[in-house]
Amino acid sequence: MLELRGVRHRYDGRLVLDLEHFAVPAGAMLAVVGHNGAGKSTLLRLLALLEAPTEGSVVWDGRPVRRASTALRRRVTLVEQRPVLLRGTVLENIGFGLQVRGVSRADAYKRTAEVAEQLGLLSLLERRRTELSDGEVQRVAVARALAIRPDVLLLDEPASSADRAASGALYRALAAERGKRSMAVCIASHQLEDAYRWADDIRALADGRLSPVTPENLFRVELTAAGTDTMSARVGSIDILVTTDRAGSAVLAVPPGDIFVSREPLSSSARNVLKGSVTRVATHRGGGVAVTADVGVELIAVVTADACRELALAPGAPVVFSFKASAVQVF
Amino acid sequence: MEFLREGFRRAVALLLSGDAEVFGIALLTLKIAVVATVIACGVGLPLGYFLATRRFWGRRAALTAVNTALAFPTVVVGLLLFGLLSRRGPLGELGWLYTWQAIVAGDVLLALPIAAALSAAAVQGVDARVRRTAQTLGAGRWLTAWTVAREARFALAAVITAAFGQVVAEIGAAMMLGGNHRGSTPTPPTAVAPYTPQGDFGLAIALGLVLIAIALLVNVTLQVLQGKGGA
Repeated sequence: MLELRGVRHRYDGRLVLDLEHFAVPAGAMLAVVGHNGAGKSTLLRLLALLEAPTEGSVVWDGRPVRRASTALRRRVTLVEQRPVLLRGTVLENIGFGLQVRGVSRADAYKRTAEVAEQLGLLSLLERRRTELSDGEVQRVAVARALAIRPDVLLLDEPASSADRAASGALYRALAAERGKRSMAVCIASHQLEDAYRWADDIRALADGRLSPVTPENLFRVELTAAGTDTMSARVGSIDILVTTDRAGSAVLAVPPGDIFVSREPLSSSARNVLKGSVTRVATHRGGGVAVTADVGVELIAVVTADACRELALAPGAPVVFSFKASAVQVF
Repeated sequence: MEFLREGFRRAVALLLSGDAEVFGIALLTLKIAVVATVIACGVGLPLGYFLATRRFWGRRAALTAVNTALAFPTVVVGLLLFGLLSRRGPLGELGWLYTWQAIVAGDVLLALPIAAALSAAAVQGVDARVRRTAQTLGAGRWLTAWTVAREARFALAAVITAAFGQVVAEIGAAMMLGGNHRGSTPTPPTAVAPYTPQGDFGLAIALGLVLIAIALLVNVTLQVLQGKGGA
């Protein structure tokens, strides 16, 4: 439905996005994960037709978009990471998109009340932006976007200011809306856990490029020489050894399946042996169990359910993560 | 001091008696000021919005030109228009010289840069997310501009006030284009100038008070129009 083809986008000559192909299929539930500055917000602005790419094209239903018409832009909407509410009440804000589409006042009110109820905003309808918390502003912005029933809904960190209950209400509202009609949703998030919970497809973005590996354990680092064939990268409070001939700025990925998990340090060829404690244990989307541990930085390893049981991996349990320098991917 | 006291006494008497000459000049001033401000802001505000929100080749140069025009000496504008509107000038056939239309033309040229430059600054001061939000919610070009303008309403009201102030207080171009002799097209600034050396302090002070009253009226009106300033 909505695609970016051969897109290279620059700000003041600096390349911030470099995507050969990125597609949001109709009705898809897509997550884009990546660290701050990875290019997620820029990607969403291009998809929302709010900016034109410096190079390449935005393609809608197979046709390149040469000029973003109002009619086309009305089919896609973006909720920014720190959304702003327009002048007026919450009611007026949620109804803004309906008003510009010429929806009758009665129908607009009905629709506004419907989405406000889904997102727990009914009691806030007469409030103004100065009377709302950051989390409430985010929910109003999502309600405002849902109200117009877009074909593609783009959300940039929509739950970053929300508590667990509000975040739950938000994802339930999205699910309810998608239950009624086809709507593609693309959420940019740095919270992998959330992405795994609801997304059909997860793409990782690092330094403006799609990551060729899974989105877990991605870090932007500075590589410095550590030996004849190894480089060292400082991540959080630990140093990770990497086999690479690259130096300087890079993105580093530790594939979760390449991490050995044990209760005690293993005698092995692994150059990276990190002690810590388990913080989360959850079912992994691709099969197995995802074990998250704080080893000086948060890393995710994937083990089998049997291994998890035998090692008694549970939050708080001591754990050792080991992986070879050659297993670490650098790009 | 006596002549000043006498001048004020006569000014008050003229105003209270509804002197036809004073109120005729006042009404003409109001007409010129309103027409010139409407034209200058009608062109200048959209131009300011365009300069603030569009990225195009030469934008920086255009902004510099508009900002430079802020400092144009009024007599230079008057001279330029005088040349254009004089009988031998290219616009001489209009027959506007020494009429209120000529003063309006001069005032528009002087107020337009104020409206454009200050409104560009006002729009640039609005959070860029406001414009993006309006666009992504489906607003067209005009509704997006209106949404941004609502956010900048205080600054834009100040722009209109400044443009109006320029028009009401302007004298250089008005004297050249409207004339500064009795019987020509007088406005309070242009009338005060010739009446004062003639010793007609009462009339001059009365017109001065009219100027202040007009400025006060416009400011109060704009403040009322801005509403209570809710978020």
